[in-house]
Amino acid sequence: MAAYRADEEYDYLFKVVLIGDAGVGKTNLLSRFARDEFSFETKSTIGVEFATRTIHVDGKLIKAQIWDTAGQDRYRAITSAYYRGSVGALVVFDLSRRVTFENTARWLQELRSHTDPNIVVMLVGNKADLRHIRAVSVEEAQAFARKEKAFFTETSALESINVADAFTGVLTQIYHVVGRKVLAIGDDPSALPIGQTINIDMKDDRQAANKAGCC
Amino acid sequence: MARKLEESTGHKNEGMESGGCGFMMRSEIAHDEHPLSLGKTSVWNQFFQDTEIIEQIDRDVKRTHPDMHFFCGDTSLAKSNQEALRHILIIFAKLNPGIRYVQGMNEVLAPLFYVFRNDPDQNNAAYAEADAFFCFVELLSGFRDNFCQKLDNSVVGIRSTIAKLSELLKKHDGELWRHLEITTKVNPQFYAFRWITLLLTQEFNFADSLHIWDTLLSDPEGPQETLLRVCCAMLILVRRRLLAGDFTSNLKLLQNYPSTNISHLLYVANKLHGASAG
Repeated sequence: MAAYRADEEYDYLFKVVLIGDAGVGKTNLLSRFARDEFSFETKSTIGVEFATRTIHVDGKLIKAQIWDTAGQDRYRAITSAYYRGSVGALVVFDLSRRVTFENTARWLQELRSHTDPNIVVMLVGNKADLRHIRAVSVEEAQAFARKEKAFFTETSALESINVADAFTGVLTQIYHVVGRKVLAIGDDPSALPIGQTINIDMKDDRQAANKAGCC
Repeated sequence: MARKLEESTGHKNEGMESGGCGFMMRSEIAHDEHPLSLGKTSVWNQFFQDTEIIEQIDRDVKRTHPDMHFFCGDTSLAKSNQEALRHILIIFAKLNPGIRYVQGMNEVLAPLFYVFRNDPDQNNAAYAEADAFFCFVELLSGFRDNFCQKLDNSVVGIRSTIAKLSELLKKHDGELWRHLEITTKVNPQFYAFRWITLLLTQEFNFADSLHIWDTLLSDPEGPQETLLRVCCAMLILVRRRLLAGDFTSNLKLLQNYPSTNISHLLYVANKLHGASAG
């Protein structure tokens, strides 16, 4: 499904944001997805970093514009500008640090206050390789995601488990929401796509995503 | 912590002991001093806040220049250097409760500490931690407003500093400014936020950053104006690629600035100083 094509042609351009507490692994998730790289010593993200990757869904080329944001409180006021126009979000926590899971509620709240209420959201429990010191159970995270009408998956950027699936899952979902409608590419490329109304039957899709999830 | 609690409750205990009861007395703990107290003034609340900041500092100190043996690895040198960074950042956070620790301060501190610690005179190098602390406080006294969220929208905050950079580019290269901000809609905040907050420490290799800092810190007018001119020169040096680029390629270029001849960059920046509005 996720065939990579480097050229600049695409049928759809979707903006997706990566949010969550500092140190949960957002930057490594993105570098794993965009370049298949992982670094043990990733510097803290200051402001925002940006990467793109094009994937194939149902014969269409979907270009994902992914914005990796700083996790620390101080940077939230600044990063809120980056939410503009996003149609998907990965809300990331570190499954070995419980407080980062608890804070996802605040991240979701902030996300929803800046974006279309129908934005496709996936809750991502990262660092699944640290399963021996897990502090959040799959059931608990799943229940929380269901309550928040979000998808849920667990990933390991280190072991490259489920990372591509998490991103392509969100992108495929956005694509299905957009359906056959041709997305007008607005004149502000940092705020794409403008005015797109998304209506999702969350229930069915979520079940499908959970089935496809890792755990 | 325990001592502080003892001091504050000490007089109560004395009073009770003089009551002459044979049992060990339970000391009265004021509501604010209870470990589960949610009061903002509670010493425990302070303790938990400090712990959170220290954990954040620890995480970031460990990922400061992971490519350099001086800062990272299992050697005793790297370990003692990390300890020094940690001390400085914790003390700074305690002394500046309005700002505390903001991610990225480790990157601003690292070059200062590196220079002092590598002083050829061992007697000077021995005081690297104290010297670096002093200079870090001095440097941030001019830049700390960029780290302060409350000032983001004020005339001294980061947004206004970024707006100054935008004005500077508009003044010196109107065509490039128009293409970047109007045509390709690259908001300068997307790249200049890091350039300015971290004083260009992330955009070049370490040696090149030190080279730039020599210029920034030797300007009698203070570093900020020079910093903005260097940022502006960085844009001008890649103007041909920027003018040919779209939103995506321009943002990628500016977020991963190519290595460049620093002397030339500083030369171009310095020329902006003399140039009048064009």
